[in-house]
Amino acid sequence: MMIIVNVFGKEVTLKRPASLALESPTLRDVLLALKEKVEGPWTHMIKEDLSLEPGCVILVNGRNIDSLEKRETKIHDGDEITFTVLVAGG
Amino acid sequence: MKGITGRLLEIDLTHGKTKDLPVSRQSFEKYIGGRGLGARLLFDLLPPKTDPFSPDNPLLFLTGPLTGTMVTGSSKFVVITKSPLTQGWCDSYSSGRISVELKKAGYDGLVILGKSNAPCYLRIDNKSVEIREANHLWGKDSFETERLLKESEKDPSIGVSSIGPAGEKRVRFASINSDLYRQAARGGVGAVMGSKNLKAIVAKGTKGIEIHDRNQMVTLNRKNYQRAKKSEVAQARKKYGTPLTLNITHMGGILPTKNFQYSTWEKALEKIDSIGVYKSIIRHKACLSCFTPCSFETRISEGKFRGNVLEGPEYETLGMFGSNQLIDSLPFIIQANILCDQLGMDTISTGSVIGFIMECFERELISPSQTEGLEIRFGDSEASLAAIERMALREGFGDIMAEGVRATANFIGNGSERFAMHVKGMEFPAYEPRGAFGSGLSYAVSPRGACHRRAWPPAKEILGSYPPYTIEGKASMIKGLYDENCILHSLLVCDMPAKFIPLSLDDYSQYLRAAIGESIPAEEFQKTAERIETLIRMFNNREGFTREDDTLPYRTLHEPLPDGPAKGKCIGEENLNKMIDEFYGLRGWDASGIPTEQTINNLEL
Repeated sequence: MMIIVNVFGKEVTLKRPASLALESPTLRDVLLALKEKVEGPWTHMIKEDLSLEPGCVILVNGRNIDSLEKRETKIHDGDEITFTVLVAGG
Repeated sequence: MKGITGRLLEIDLTHGKTKDLPVSRQSFEKYIGGRGLGARLLFDLLPPKTDPFSPDNPLLFLTGPLTGTMVTGSSKFVVITKSPLTQGWCDSYSSGRISVELKKAGYDGLVILGKSNAPCYLRIDNKSVEIREANHLWGKDSFETERLLKESEKDPSIGVSSIGPAGEKRVRFASINSDLYRQAARGGVGAVMGSKNLKAIVAKGTKGIEIHDRNQMVTLNRKNYQRAKKSEVAQARKKYGTPLTLNITHMGGILPTKNFQYSTWEKALEKIDSIGVYKSIIRHKACLSCFTPCSFETRISEGKFRGNVLEGPEYETLGMFGSNQLIDSLPFIIQANILCDQLGMDTISTGSVIGFIMECFERELISPSQTEGLEIRFGDSEASLAAIERMALREGFGDIMAEGVRATANFIGNGSERFAMHVKGMEFPAYEPRGAFGSGLSYAVSPRGACHRRAWPPAKEILGSYPPYTIEGKASMIKGLYDENCILHSLLVCDMPAKFIPLSLDDYSQYLRAAIGESIPAEEFQKTAERIETLIRMFNNREGFTREDDTLPYRTLHEPLPDGPAKGKCIGEENLNKMIDEFYGLRGWDASGIPTEQTINNLEL
């Protein structure tokens, strides 16, 4: 499957495609695969236990996973996953 | 009390007189400073139902107990008055050297009354206050005014706040500019200053600011500086500034696009977002007293405005002049921002009015024959720039637009008020509420109109765990955000370090103790915030505002979003009413939005 990954942090990366050999994965499966098998600017944000660095959150298709099914959120082909710091204000 | 001077400077422009106005220790304890103290003062000083352009409308410049200390983000001030845009409460915030200079000259703030019979400016230092004639400055833009005043003082380090031509001509969203690129912009405070024939304020102080415990202040700063260094959020903010917000609002489906018709805009990416702006940055900057900087200067690198420099643009301007007008040219947005700063207008309201007119043209509700040939269509950057100048100088149709989007919609009619994006007459900032329902409540109940400073709901609904398209818990969420920012805006510190270091109210309580020798526990902060917000509500009620004013535009309530994560969503009147009912209840206001006797007594108002 192919997912799209964004990172909004000390580095900003937009719409990086990532090919994952997964079928009907949860976000937990995707995080593990991204951490271990796909090099990218998200690597330093994901800790060993698949939690994130303080002040960072994950959005799936623009929604915070805490308002979805958290790490059990189902990920589908073409989904957009965003690792972001807690941006504030304009 | 250390940290504050205990006196305000009252200036009566009508009679050319000045005097010290002592502020009691109890007033500071009860209202802190900044927004809180201003609420008490405006409520007491303004005769009810006064025209905002009447000499009787006070113009307050206020600092807080942490102003001019080493606390990060403490060079802020607030301008408070009755708004000519909304006819109600207005508090407009800015950074600027003038805040610190006023305090060093011995004043916690200014109370400006009356109206000068000719253009004037104020010059304030430790020993004297002068009302000087300003005929040579009248008509000059803000940049030139500041340059001339610094030149005449032979001191580039003085604090200067001034208005541009838009303020002189009473554009209802005119700003007060400081340090060239810093604006108290919302609600038309610059127009009130212009109505008093007051072109500028110059302040220079040398007294120093005495604090209670310098060692403790340094210790706190060392600790919090280390926290900022380790904070991923603070480091991202330092590098990219507020343009990073555009990536989030696009991703979360709350980026205003095409006059709030849509909520995402792919064309913005890498052009007018964090990546696009970062390429134009020539140096990073910080406000005075800030160790968590997020500002920067950009230079236009191509086209006819090549070489022009701006501090900014910030997210709000990128949204309101970019996606909301369907313009993906960063050079244009920088130039539009420079023009607004020079002429002295709020980029949010200016951008919003232009976006509205673009939609009117698209829907053929107006024609060039009604606008003296000015045809403003989505994507047309040249027309947008021309509109800015006409508004600022009130030329032709610009005279209508200068009244704000509500008045412009009333002029055009034909149903255009359905997409005039404002609350109480103040234009929406750059967040689409249909993609985050709490934003809708926040805009609706805000006493100054559609406001992004009292609360920043995307932190909870896009980045946090609150489901964005529901109403459950939103009233409590918004009240919590309002109360926290109320305290920050009364201490008068920038609310950004609080969010991205982060610093809690307990942290600020420790800072306050170091500054004034007394700390306010968190539960007391809570009561103080409720007191201040209820007093402001009472002010607006007295001015004639009712529950009917706490509402949202037709588009937000009834038109489903056609795109983005919130596709198909609109807030609906029933949802808004439920959130408002709950919000009023939490505040101790009755169903009409009037504070109950019990609430007024409990809050010692």
